[in-house]
Amino acid sequence: MTLLLALAVLGTLLAGTLFAAVLDRTALPLVAAFGRQRVETEAPDRMNRDLAPAWYLALAAVGLSVVPFAPGLALIDSPVGIVIWGACEALTVVTVFLHGWSPNAPFPLIGAYRYAAIGLPVMLPSMFVLIAAALPAESLSLVAIVESQREIWNVVRQPLGLPLFLVVALALTLRGPMDYADAADIASGTSAEDSGPARAAWQVARLAMLVSVSAIAATVFLGGPLGPVLPGPVWLWLKTAVLMALIVWLGDRVARTTPSRMLGILWVVLLPLSFLDLVISGVLAL
Amino acid sequence: MTDLAVALLAAFAVWTGWRVFRVDSMVRASFSLMLSFVAVGGIGVLLSAPYIGVATVFMMAVEMMVMAIFMVMFMMNPAGLNPMMMVHQHRLSIGAGLVAFIGLGAAVLLSPLPRDPVPEEAQVVAQLGHELLGPSMLIFETAGVTLLATMVGAVILSSRQGRYGAADEGARPPGLTEGGEPAGRRPEGGGGHGHHHHGGH
Amino acid sequence: MAVTRFGSLAARAPVPIFAAIGPGRQADVERLLARRGLRRAHSPRDAAVLLVSGDLPDDMLEALSRVHAQLPHPRATVRWIDETADEIADRLRDAWHDLCAGVTDEEDRLPDVPPNEWKGVGPHGQGGEGMMGGTPYGRSMAMTGPDIRDGLQLDRYTARIGPFAPMLPPGLVLEVTLQGDVICDATVANAAFAQPAGADAPELCAGRVVRLLGLEAAADRLIEGKRPGAVWLRGAVPSGLGLAEGTEARGRLGAWLAGEVVTVAPVDLPDFLEGAEWSEAALLLASLPPSAIIRATRPTEVA
Repeated sequence: MTLLLALAVLGTLLAGTLFAAVLDRTALPLVAAFGRQRVETEAPDRMNRDLAPAWYLALAAVGLSVVPFAPGLALIDSPVGIVIWGACEALTVVTVFLHGWSPNAPFPLIGAYRYAAIGLPVMLPSMFVLIAAALPAESLSLVAIVESQREIWNVVRQPLGLPLFLVVALALTLRGPMDYADAADIASGTSAEDSGPARAAWQVARLAMLVSVSAIAATVFLGGPLGPVLPGPVWLWLKTAVLMALIVWLGDRVARTTPSRMLGILWVVLLPLSFLDLVISGVLAL
Repeated sequence: MTDLAVALLAAFAVWTGWRVFRVDSMVRASFSLMLSFVAVGGIGVLLSAPYIGVATVFMMAVEMMVMAIFMVMFMMNPAGLNPMMMVHQHRLSIGAGLVAFIGLGAAVLLSPLPRDPVPEEAQVVAQLGHELLGPSMLIFETAGVTLLATMVGAVILSSRQGRYGAADEGARPPGLTEGGEPAGRRPEGGGGHGHHHHGGH
Repeated sequence: MAVTRFGSLAARAPVPIFAAIGPGRQADVERLLARRGLRRAHSPRDAAVLLVSGDLPDDMLEALSRVHAQLPHPRATVRWIDETADEIADRLRDAWHDLCAGVTDEEDRLPDVPPNEWKGVGPHGQGGEGMMGGTPYGRSMAMTGPDIRDGLQLDRYTARIGPFAPMLPPGLVLEVTLQGDVICDATVANAAFAQPAGADAPELCAGRVVRLLGLEAAADRLIEGKRPGAVWLRGAVPSGLGLAEGTEARGRLGAWLAGEVVTVAPVDLPDFLEGAEWSEAALLLASLPPSAIIRATRPTEVA
């Protein structure tokens, strides 16, 4: 069974990444980038530069492995599944920072610390909406959170949760309005010095993270594998695919404001909203 | 199997902890420390403390990120181009290290450790929650509120935009009567800048 | 053969182009690169074809060679002198097909050596004083100085950005001193290239701002004269940014989106940029019509 679940996680990650590349229309540019030269910057931190895409991909895989593929069945069936995902989020910020710090160039470095400044306050609403989702389940386990949604999905019970989590998803996948790491005003930021396979690997990892974050959102807010007629994994894949398309669409359609203004919005608007979400779900769960 | 994993994680934690003092840049040092704590968190998970273990990873990732941000603010030093020494005050730090090692080692060796394994069906996470929000509530909340107050205080003290104007321009508190003498200590002219302390670890 | 099949798949990708825009060609290049099948790379590292347009002054040729050296191999250069846009689009596609087939490449024009050897002076091999500053590799490292916002001693880093930086007006070279991404000091090291009035066209100006807001596809749609198909465009520009002659950046973007030409009197550019964050500065420069930037940086010449 463990082997089967491991295969399901890997297969989902692979197929999902391909689907994300199609949604993003980056499949052909990625193929082209793999065939090009990788340029060295002057005196880079080679280890961290090479490890950053690998870390990013690994965090996407770990994040996906706590997702239940059928009611009661997850590769890592931990009593604290949602905290494991939280750790993946926090380590993603570290990974993006190292990706920008290691090439030894000004624009990647600006992207790196700008992303860290945005990423840390994004963690807070993320934690609050996830804990709010854990309240009706009375457990931090994602398997229990799925079980708690048999009658009503969390997206209905906690209407603020999914929109707030979508902001987190945009930030974790470096996309559109929350892409402060690889933005146009800093010449694509942390990836400004990446070329060839290194650039392609970073983009692939970014797409893989889109799969993971969508699968987590589908599990926590849309009942994950629950659904009539079709088997559990199919429901999970369908819901994940819909959320991936929604996140890509938002990333292409919503403008990005300046980092300092976004910091204000995060602390003054989104954080209180996530508190409100927590209070509402706490009162309902009593 | 678990013993082997614990031993490997412990060795990794010690090695990355040692790397903190051997690498030549502050960012590398803080992320070495993070890896060391990640390994300790892994040991926590293996010792049937999943919440504490995973939360250690989570908290350390955030904390080290904050530390790295401050280090880049003080010294940009991308990719560790400008090598720097990570140890200073050798005698004091060796002494402090020895005292801490002997103290913690003695505590481990002398305290009676529980020998009975955690039963399979024990709800360890729920038990921890009941402990933290039950008998230990006072300690837990006191620590939390103190930390929050410290953070808010530190930000307010370091901010230039004070209540009575820029903090380094001899702010005058308002008078006790209208237009009268300012209350409290009188400022001594322009604000002297303290020497800046850089956070090498 | 696998290699050729891989190459032919890659050749179907949009052509990754880095544009070195010369005097008078900004509008042409922006319209060209909004076409389907051509992609504007944000960084030379992401590009395969270098598009050089217009007559570049001699003192810009070294900068051009530097940009050229940053393109990964295999790479090609396409010069746009007086061909039509259709002809040049075909040439860009042909160049990309040749690169993917592996038949062409270009060597560096400058020797690939650091400006000087590593010169560590401190006991641990560091470049400057107190483990900071100095010029190892001939690159000056950041050194602490008082922060312009709250006087904290934070690292300052000075860099020259331009003349082909994609987020700045073509030709403009800024020497900026950054603290984090806050600009403490800015000087214009080279003026923006002169551009004809066509560069002030509302759809092009709006496209520049929208591209900085992270909406590539919307910017391309705007330049083609379509609706942007995106939300929160004006709202994303902070209010009060780039106040000049009573209009601010947000208002100017609104006017451009409504299809109106905006004219702005010359501004004092360094004064405008100091204290802004880098992303605000880029947005601010994009929110000024090229004619205003040219007059601001070339006070003696008539644009």
